[in-house]
Amino acid sequence: MTVQDTSVPYADAPAPVALEDTHATTEAAHGGEHESGGLPQFEFQHWFGQIVYLIFLFAILYWLIAKVFAPRMRRVFDERASTISTAVETARQVQAEAAGQAEAAKAEVEQARASSRATAAAAKARVTDEANARAAAEEAVVAARIAEAETAIGKTRDAAMTNVSAIASDTAAAIVERLTGKGPTAAEAAAAVKGAA
Amino acid sequence: MADPLHQFQVKPLTPALDFGEVTLPVVGQVHLAFTNSHLAMTIGFLLVVGFLTLVTSGAKVVPGRTQAVGETLFGMIDGLTDSIIGHDGKKYFPFVFTVFTFILGMNLLGMFLSFTATSQLAVTATFGMITFLLVVIIGIRKNGLRFLKLFWPTGAPLVMRPIVGLIEFFSFLLRPLTLTLRLFGNMMGGHIALKVFAGFVATAVIGAAGWFGVLIFPLALGMTIGLTALEFLVAFLQAFVFAVLTCIYLNDVVNLDHAH
Repeated sequence: MTVQDTSVPYADAPAPVALEDTHATTEAAHGGEHESGGLPQFEFQHWFGQIVYLIFLFAILYWLIAKVFAPRMRRVFDERASTISTAVETARQVQAEAAGQAEAAKAEVEQARASSRATAAAAKARVTDEANARAAAEEAVVAARIAEAETAIGKTRDAAMTNVSAIASDTAAAIVERLTGKGPTAAEAAAAVKGAA
Repeated sequence: MADPLHQFQVKPLTPALDFGEVTLPVVGQVHLAFTNSHLAMTIGFLLVVGFLTLVTSGAKVVPGRTQAVGETLFGMIDGLTDSIIGHDGKKYFPFVFTVFTFILGMNLLGMFLSFTATSQLAVTATFGMITFLLVVIIGIRKNGLRFLKLFWPTGAPLVMRPIVGLIEFFSFLLRPLTLTLRLFGNMMGGHIALKVFAGFVATAVIGAAGWFGVLIFPLALGMTIGLTALEFLVAFLQAFVFAVLTCIYLNDVVNLDHAH
C-alpha cells in the first residue's frame, strides 16, 4: 500500500500542477487506491521496464530453445525413429529367415517323401521282378515236365500204335487164314493193314 | 469488497531495485524498477527453462512421465508448424515454441500467484509486436517487394481489388493489436471474474451480507471453483491460439508464392 501511494506522485509527476495535486489528494482521501478511473495496465510509466525485460527474457529463451532444447528433443525423436526402424528391419529379417527355414524344411520333407516313395517303388519292383522270375522259373520247370510227359505219352502212343498195326496184321492174317485156310505172309498182311489204315 | 482490479497493479518490489523516475531519450519519462510483473516474468521464464531442462537433459528413447509431457507439447507445436507452414516449418519451430511455452508458463503461473504477467497489456503487446515484426521482416527478406502481393487479392474481381486490398492491408496492420488484446482480454477478464466471485465468498463468510450470505456462499464458491477450472483451460488455450495464429501469419509470408 505504501509503495503504491508513493508511486502516485510519480505517475502524475510530469504535470505537477496545483489542480492535479488536489485531485490526487482528494483521491487518496477517498480510498487510498490510486485508480484514476482506468485500468492499472494503462499506467504507462512501467511499460518500458516490462517491455525491455520481456524482450531480454524472450531472446534468452529463444536462444536456449533453438540451440539446446529443440536439438536435444529432435535427437531423441530421431534416435527413437531409427531404433524403431532398426527393430522393424531386424524383425523383418528374422521373419524372412524363418520363412526361408520353413521353406527348407518343407523342401526336405518333400525330398524325404520323394525318396521314400522311390524306395517303396523300387522295393515293389524288386519284389515283383523276383516273383515274376520265380514264377517264370517254376513255369519253365512245369513246362519241361509237361513236355517230358508229352514225349512220354507220345512214345507210349507210338509204341501202342506200332503194337496196334502188329496186332492188326496178326489179326488180319489169322482172319485170312481161317477164311481161306491159308495164311498170308507177314509182309502181305502188314502191307494190307498199312493200306487200310 | 476488495477491488478486483487491484491485482493488476504493477509496483516496485524492493527499494533496492527501484531506480525511480528516469527520462530516456526517445521514450520519455519512465519508472525503472524491478516490479511484481518482472518477478512473475522471471519465475515464468525459470519454470519454462527448468521444465525443458528436466525434459531434455535425461531424454531417453522410451520416455518417462515428465519427458512424455514435454514431448507432447513439443510434438504439438512441431505438428502445428509442420502442418501450417509446411516443409519450411522446422526453421520457425523454435520461435513458435518459445512464444507458446513462455505464454503458457506465465498464464499458468498466474493461476498460482497473485499476479499474472500476461494480464499486463505491456507484456501481451510485446508478444504481439515481436510476432508481427518477425512476420514483416521475414516477409520482406524472403519476398522483397513481392511482399505486397499479400494485399493483392487475386480471387476478387479486378474492380474490387484495390478496395479489398486496402481492407486486407488494414487487417494486416491490426494483427498485432488483435493478438495483444485477445490474450490480454482473456487473462484479465478471467482473473477479474475469479476475484469478483471469490470476493462474494469472502463477503458471505464475514457476514457482511447478513443471512443473505447463506444463499450467496454456495453459489459464489461453486462459481469460483468452476471458474478456476475454466481459467486453467483458458491459460492453455490462449497460449495455443497465440501459437496457431503465429504459425498462420508466418505461413502467409513464408509460402507467399504457393498460397491462395
